[in-house]
Amino acid sequence: MGNIFSHDMLTRYEEILFIVAVISYLVCSGIFIWYLILKNEKVAQLGTILLTMGLVAHTVALALRWGTSGHAPMSNTYESLSMFGWGIVLFFLIAQRFYPIRATGALVVPTAFLITSVAGVFYQGPDIPLAPALQSIWLWIHVTIAMLSYGLFALAFGAGFLYIIQENLLKKNYKGVVSAFTLLFAALGVVLGLWLGSMLAEPVTVQDPITRTVGNDYSVSDYVKIFGGGAIGLVVLLALGYFAGKGASKRSFSSILPSLDVLDEVSYRGVAFGFPLLTIGIVTGAIWADQAWGRWWGWDPKETWSFITWLFYGGYLHTRLTMGWRGKHSAILAVVGLIVVLITYLGVNFFFSGLHSYASG
Amino acid sequence: MSADKVAVKIETKNTETVSTGKPSAGNSGSDILFYMILVVTLLLTDVVLSIYYYRNQGAFDMRWILAALDVSAILSVMGLAGKRVGHFLTSMKLALTMLFVVAILSIIGTWLPQGDAVLDSGWVKNPLYDVYRTLGLFDAYHSRWFLAILYLLAFNLSFCIFKRLPTTYRHTLKPRVDVKEKFIVNQPLAAEIDGAGEKGMVIARETLSGMRYRIRPGQTGSVMAEKGSYSGLASIAFHVSFLFIGIGAMLGAVFGFDEAVEIREGQTVDVRGTNLKATNYDFQVKYTDVMEEGRMTGSMPTEYSTDLEVLADGQSLERKVITVNGPLRVSTYNPVLTFLASLKVNFHQASYYQSDRGVVSVLQVNQGPGKSLIYLGFFLMMGGICFSLYFPHRRIWLKVGDSGKLLVGGRANRAKVTFQRDFERLTSELRVKMGQEDKAHG
Repeated sequence: MGNIFSHDMLTRYEEILFIVAVISYLVCSGIFIWYLILKNEKVAQLGTILLTMGLVAHTVALALRWGTSGHAPMSNTYESLSMFGWGIVLFFLIAQRFYPIRATGALVVPTAFLITSVAGVFYQGPDIPLAPALQSIWLWIHVTIAMLSYGLFALAFGAGFLYIIQENLLKKNYKGVVSAFTLLFAALGVVLGLWLGSMLAEPVTVQDPITRTVGNDYSVSDYVKIFGGGAIGLVVLLALGYFAGKGASKRSFSSILPSLDVLDEVSYRGVAFGFPLLTIGIVTGAIWADQAWGRWWGWDPKETWSFITWLFYGGYLHTRLTMGWRGKHSAILAVVGLIVVLITYLGVNFFFSGLHSYASG
Repeated sequence: MSADKVAVKIETKNTETVSTGKPSAGNSGSDILFYMILVVTLLLTDVVLSIYYYRNQGAFDMRWILAALDVSAILSVMGLAGKRVGHFLTSMKLALTMLFVVAILSIIGTWLPQGDAVLDSGWVKNPLYDVYRTLGLFDAYHSRWFLAILYLLAFNLSFCIFKRLPTTYRHTLKPRVDVKEKFIVNQPLAAEIDGAGEKGMVIARETLSGMRYRIRPGQTGSVMAEKGSYSGLASIAFHVSFLFIGIGAMLGAVFGFDEAVEIREGQTVDVRGTNLKATNYDFQVKYTDVMEEGRMTGSMPTEYSTDLEVLADGQSLERKVITVNGPLRVSTYNPVLTFLASLKVNFHQASYYQSDRGVVSVLQVNQGPGKSLIYLGFFLMMGGICFSLYFPHRRIWLKVGDSGKLLVGGRANRAKVTFQRDFERLTSELRVKMGQEDKAHG
């Protein structure tokens, strides 16, 4: 019998707690969808309690990973996706305390489940050493803040999407509901498909010793895997989205969904809280890059896409605060925004080469 | 001389437009003359400098200057055509369009290989290669038109800041405390509490201080309560930060340098662009075992460092073991000037490679005048955006009206639904407490 606090045992606990968290997110997804159908407040309360317990387990798992690996849990796909899912659940639980938005759980919790379970697929032990550039205090400051902002943008997206659904339901425009679901699921399908496809691809990593840029050489079969994955994802989720939309427009969901005003405000607050965090995330990244690479901005694909994301949400805030956009237009922007975030977060790591390449793990 | 006169002309023209309220119907004779002189001068300088620059590439990075000339030329052509340049420059539409254009161009830049990387790519054989190269798409982020758009944004930003400054200053430092009843009733959120009177006022003030509002009693019986009054000023600080960062980046691009320097162990090399020499005394790589599921699967470099000495005119300035996250920063000039203008020369450990004659340490050596300005911009940016969005400016006015009615009215610059909750909490508190008072009396 080894010490129950030994490195290996702690790693074991972390795995178990992470699995507990993922299972609780799965169960809670079911509960929150069930709540939409039954419209019973008790069910939602049960879901919230279970979700909080799942979040606690998840938090402890992340803390254990921090302890066993000796660095902040953000250096590979498993760790950073796990953080992303954690951020989404955290902000959902906080937001539902202040706004009557428990019904959004039927969208937000499955998203968190999806992300954490994908994290589980890419599970990696804690004993992979960090690349030299990552060995810095800035790692956790930069990545935590960026992940928190992504979590808030995901919340803004959820509320924005439900705004569109609610508006169509109130207008009895069921075609609109179906097409909104279909479009969303199709877009998600493409992103997920491309991403999973690129996970299967086996590009040869080439590093230029002088310019230090890391590039990936893709073969034809790799492209087939990537775009095939995208196509399959598109078809599968398109069909799923169509039926989800049909289901949503059959039942009168509008009474259980939050009011348009609340959804609009939650979506806006998600962006309004996420944007400063994204700004700090980018600036701390610039300061770190200045220290490690000797330049604070180099138009590396990750930097450029985070800049695009930042421009996008900056545009959102301007249309809202100075041009008075509200409701549907803002909601559409919040929905599109998450696609930009996903390209920045996932796309860049897998499709472009650059100094951030190691972040893909 | 002529430029000064033109500036004055534009100024007077704009004020005329404002005072008459009519859109400008074209230029007068003298305007046209000035604009023509300006346009011809700008275009000529633009062309001459462009030819000089493209013939002597690399001598001095003039793209920033060229882009500035392009923008001024375009604006003066617009002025010549009778367009209202000032109006165009200050419009929100221009800002949003430019943000959109910058985003699109940035996307193009991530799809095409940039800089030297293009030479190793298949693009060289592409029939459109020359067209793309001429358009600057392979160096998109430093191309003239990209910089020109950034200039337009900077102009737009400066004008917008200038336009907003007086209002923001008034809202922050000279708030309207003494208001008429009509002003309160006309607020986006307004309520009347019947018969509340002065007692209601006391309760309202207590409730509002409980909600951490700052209470400002006025001279004429009205009271103002506010929260987050620095929101507007913080927003301006956030926008000013771009100008700081932009100017800093421009200084760096025009006057700074950035070189990859390769040194073998024991070798001393010149640092191009300075009077400095660098010696590599020792190069070390530390490998760490990669463990997966309790067994070793390989090893990877987790640390590399160079024992580096920097010399000026044969004299040692500083010696340090530099690592990837631990650069050496050498001040070569007056220390005060070094701090203000960031004239330090930075030696970063970039990478290394194995050559036939030993391990070569690759350093990234740079100097960026304007770094202090950039860091100042960073802090303004982070502080500004947090204060601006996390603490929205909320204002509530209170006044006892005719027949003891308590008038309550308020507004917020952002997060209006959240403010509405504050407002409803106040009015319901007032209604409940006044109701209780009535009962006690009855």
